[in-house]
Amino acid sequence: MTTDNCITLKDVTIGYNGHPLLKDINFSLKVGEFTVLFGPNGCGKTTLFKTILRIIPPIQGTIVYGENHYPRFGYVPQRQILDEIYPFTAEEVVFMGTFGQAKPFCPTSDKNRAWVEQCLKDVGMLELKKQLFSELSGGQRQRILIARALATRPDILVLDEPITGVDILAQKMIMELITLLHKKHQLTFIMVTHEIHSIPKWIDKIIWINDNKVLIGNSIELLSPLITDEISFQGTLWH
Amino acid sequence: MEQLLEILNPHFLLRNALYAGLIVGFVCPQVGIFFVLRRMILLGIALPQVSNAGIAFAFLLHTLGWHFFYHTESEKVMALTGSIIFTIITIFILAILERKRKGFTENRIGFTYVLAGAASILFVSWNPYGQTEVLSMLKGEIVSVPDVYLWSMVAIYGAIFIFLTGFHRNFILVSYDIDMAVTVGKKVIIWDILLYIIIGIIISLGVMTVGPLVIFGFLLIPPITARMVTRGILPFCIVSSAIGVTASFIGFYISYRFDLPTGPTDVALLSVILVLSYLAKMLFSMKRQCEGKIKLKENA
Repeated sequence: MTTDNCITLKDVTIGYNGHPLLKDINFSLKVGEFTVLFGPNGCGKTTLFKTILRIIPPIQGTIVYGENHYPRFGYVPQRQILDEIYPFTAEEVVFMGTFGQAKPFCPTSDKNRAWVEQCLKDVGMLELKKQLFSELSGGQRQRILIARALATRPDILVLDEPITGVDILAQKMIMELITLLHKKHQLTFIMVTHEIHSIPKWIDKIIWINDNKVLIGNSIELLSPLITDEISFQGTLWH
Repeated sequence: MEQLLEILNPHFLLRNALYAGLIVGFVCPQVGIFFVLRRMILLGIALPQVSNAGIAFAFLLHTLGWHFFYHTESEKVMALTGSIIFTIITIFILAILERKRKGFTENRIGFTYVLAGAASILFVSWNPYGQTEVLSMLKGEIVSVPDVYLWSMVAIYGAIFIFLTGFHRNFILVSYDIDMAVTVGKKVIIWDILLYIIIGIIISLGVMTVGPLVIFGFLLIPPITARMVTRGILPFCIVSSAIGVTASFIGFYISYRFDLPTGPTDVALLSVILVLSYLAKMLFSMKRQCEGKIKLKENA
């Protein structure tokens, strides 16, 4: 793991339509780090990561990306926001990850086909690739969305509430998959969650947003007091 | 059979109407899939009505001696221009309001539909001359399509089809997942604008050729039907156009054979295909359920 910063936020204010939600945010993420963006619903987690992804512009301050180039993001959205009316197969959803580099009027290359197969294999969904995405279970859809993010060949993988709304067994499997992918691909990970029990113990950094304040630390510094006080804690830490 | 051979004859008198119908049946569903997938079906009803209002307004100006173009007094060019201007302005206003989330979508589209319908009638009634001619154009003239018009359709609809096919991935991605599209570097606003312009042109030209009812039918019914019977986006697109072309050809044959108006015959046929597909799908799923229950019993 190198120590280069891949994202640095300097005095950043975030919000919508000029209305600030969080002010004076300062932190950096290092290449290869696993960072968790944690906080209760409505605290501004999603706004912060959408600002990092350049989906929403910051109201104030600057965000510096890497040394030389804007990193490529692999984005795993909350699966509930994707409309089931689209008749995509699981494989077609993963192919979307290659659309950023695809040239118009050109059919999908053999290289991209092989890469998509590999991504499906990595998340254990190769056998279900011809199933309709809308017919898959919550956990299976999440795996497909992770495969789609991997298919972008990302520098940074961003996961928005990856275990929300899936059963406990599927939650465990998804977290194991994320852990495995982090180790295998050595990617920088940013995971957004409001569920404390989903946070792996071994992560490098937690950015905890609460009461319009942004706290930064590691899992021992920030999670231990929470666990002791049993604040919004209903599960056990993943080991 | 005799009539069928007559229709297929390259010197058939109404061949332009047949070709125009086939072009509409092939290309409109490719645009219509975005209406269905983006849940904009109501817009598919309102926009042809707006296009109608544009045609009626252009005719009114024409009769009063105003012309959009200095060197030409062609009524059809005037009407097409009016139709395109009205449709594209409306779709942009509706899209901006949709993005800003002002009020409810259904309210906006319902209001647009009623306003455009009333405006069309008022523009026609204020027109001191040629009401019959205007009404004939508003209904669509699928039987009499001049050569120039047919070739314009081939060029414009052909260009739109090629463009949609070539940039299919971009249009699909920005429709399905805007955030993902932004993160992989797509300019969402540009692709949205391009799609709206394409919708505006397809509807404007189509309304003048085959009328608002037929355009609405071909935009929406083939994709709705195809979605029921296909798995995957590529089969969905192919089957949509296949249904459109088939209904257009068979509809033309039936209307010619039994002396019926072509447009309504096409739409009725599309509706029959939709209902039959739905019934077939229901039967198929019932059969699968029964097979599942039998297997369960056997295992028990």
